[in-house]
Amino acid sequence: MYVIQVNRAGKTYENGTIAVHPTSLNFEPGTFNAILGPSGAGKSTLLRMINGLEIPTTGEVIIQGQTLTSQNLRQIRSRTAMVFQQFNLVGRLNVITNVLTGRLYYSPWWSSVFYLFGQRDWKIAQWALSRVGLTDKAWERVDRLSGGQQQRVGVARALTQRPEVILADEPVASLDPVASEGIMELLREICHQDGITIVANLHQVSLAMGYADRIIGLNQGHVVFDDSPQALVEENLRAIYQRKDGSVDDSLEMAVTD
Amino acid sequence: MIAWKWRLPTKDGFVPLWWRWGFILLLGALASTAVLIELDVLRLLQSGGSLWQFLGQLLTVPDWAYIPKLLLKMLETIEMGVVSTAIALLLSLPLGVLAARNTSPHPVLYHCIRNLLNLMRALPELVWALVFVSAVGLGPLPGVMALIFVTTGFLGKFLAESIEVVDANGVIGVKSTGAGWLQTLMFAVFPLALPDFIGTVLYILDHNVRSATILGLVGAGGIGYELVMSMRLFNYGRLILIATAIYIVVTILDRFSDVLRSRVI
Repeated sequence: MYVIQVNRAGKTYENGTIAVHPTSLNFEPGTFNAILGPSGAGKSTLLRMINGLEIPTTGEVIIQGQTLTSQNLRQIRSRTAMVFQQFNLVGRLNVITNVLTGRLYYSPWWSSVFYLFGQRDWKIAQWALSRVGLTDKAWERVDRLSGGQQQRVGVARALTQRPEVILADEPVASLDPVASEGIMELLREICHQDGITIVANLHQVSLAMGYADRIIGLNQGHVVFDDSPQALVEENLRAIYQRKDGSVDDSLEMAVTD
Repeated sequence: MIAWKWRLPTKDGFVPLWWRWGFILLLGALASTAVLIELDVLRLLQSGGSLWQFLGQLLTVPDWAYIPKLLLKMLETIEMGVVSTAIALLLSLPLGVLAARNTSPHPVLYHCIRNLLNLMRALPELVWALVFVSAVGLGPLPGVMALIFVTTGFLGKFLAESIEVVDANGVIGVKSTGAGWLQTLMFAVFPLALPDFIGTVLYILDHNVRSATILGLVGAGGIGYELVMSMRLFNYGRLILIATAIYIVVTILDRFSDVLRSRVI
């Protein structure tokens, strides 16, 4: 049984741009999957389609046997947590409030109007915060934290959802190398300890090789590679980072020299 | 070709043609309207004498016995401003959300609410005060109603604009957790729009207190009635006190809003 099934799902924007060609991918539960590809390859769109932030124009997305529709959109989102490149936190709110937003799906609307959360939600949020090692920052405003700490809050919010899947959209692209390693370690630990499936878009091949069980290469909306990190050789990298005109994206040189 | 030492950063180094024509047109328009609004330099100079005389009459012994009544009236004025701002703020929250392109549930609703807000702002407080005075009678109530009416239009529009420039990332982040529309509003849109909006609210409070001083002109409560009456009765001893009181209140309010703004932002 797959935790995520992407069945010939594709996305064409209204102006005719094809972000993702109809693609089929299946993800095993508890695995760490990395998606590589040049900018504009459709990596973000693919992740957002799984979470329902983008609705596929063709095909379907199935989470644990449940097809994503506009009726169960919020429920699917609550089960497929997202971590973003820009963290996508609310900077003016404190850390614990940002983490607690991971429980909003389970809170009745009238309690949210008064910013109230139940005891169970508080416990889960505190547990998530201790998992990312930020318990002592709980009352600090998020925009006062460093980038690495903010991304930890982002991961804690995702954990608070008690999701089956964490979709990480370039989670370390705006972080320094040390903070990047920290976040990647954290994601791997979550994958192994909690059995949460991780799908991460990555810019650096070395990170994908170091952390993922499986690498998916995306180029111009097509899957051009899908195998274990050991099987990834330079020829594959060339295919992943090739441009339309035959030249190779700068990220390849970065990736190879890394 | 003469090499000019100074030139503008344009292709030929001169003022662009449409700017030159625009400037000439603007000057022409201004000159022609001066006649229309009776802007006469001679008359302006001649009126200097009577203006001086009026200012001289203000320098009399203030009517100290008037102070208790003045304080009472001033308090009424401030209350009118504060109450009308508070109620307008409450009313503008739902209206502003519905009038913002990124949070409005439907484009038709968005346009309807926008038009409603425009209608509320279309006429100044004084006109609405006249309407409400004839509807509910003299006193502070019609004044407060007029202020609420106009400033709800303002606050709604400004809230909508604050919401429209909110950082979309934070909103997407909260949405991605499966939060509902109202929850996304409470946990992402409002906190993100707050610093921008709080400035507007403080400005409106300031504006409403100042407006409340003038609504008395049409019998809608506040210190304005006293102001007009002392002016008509040539009671300069009172006039100077009223003017000073208004000045002090507006200054204190300004300081207060500065402090609050720096704390919130």
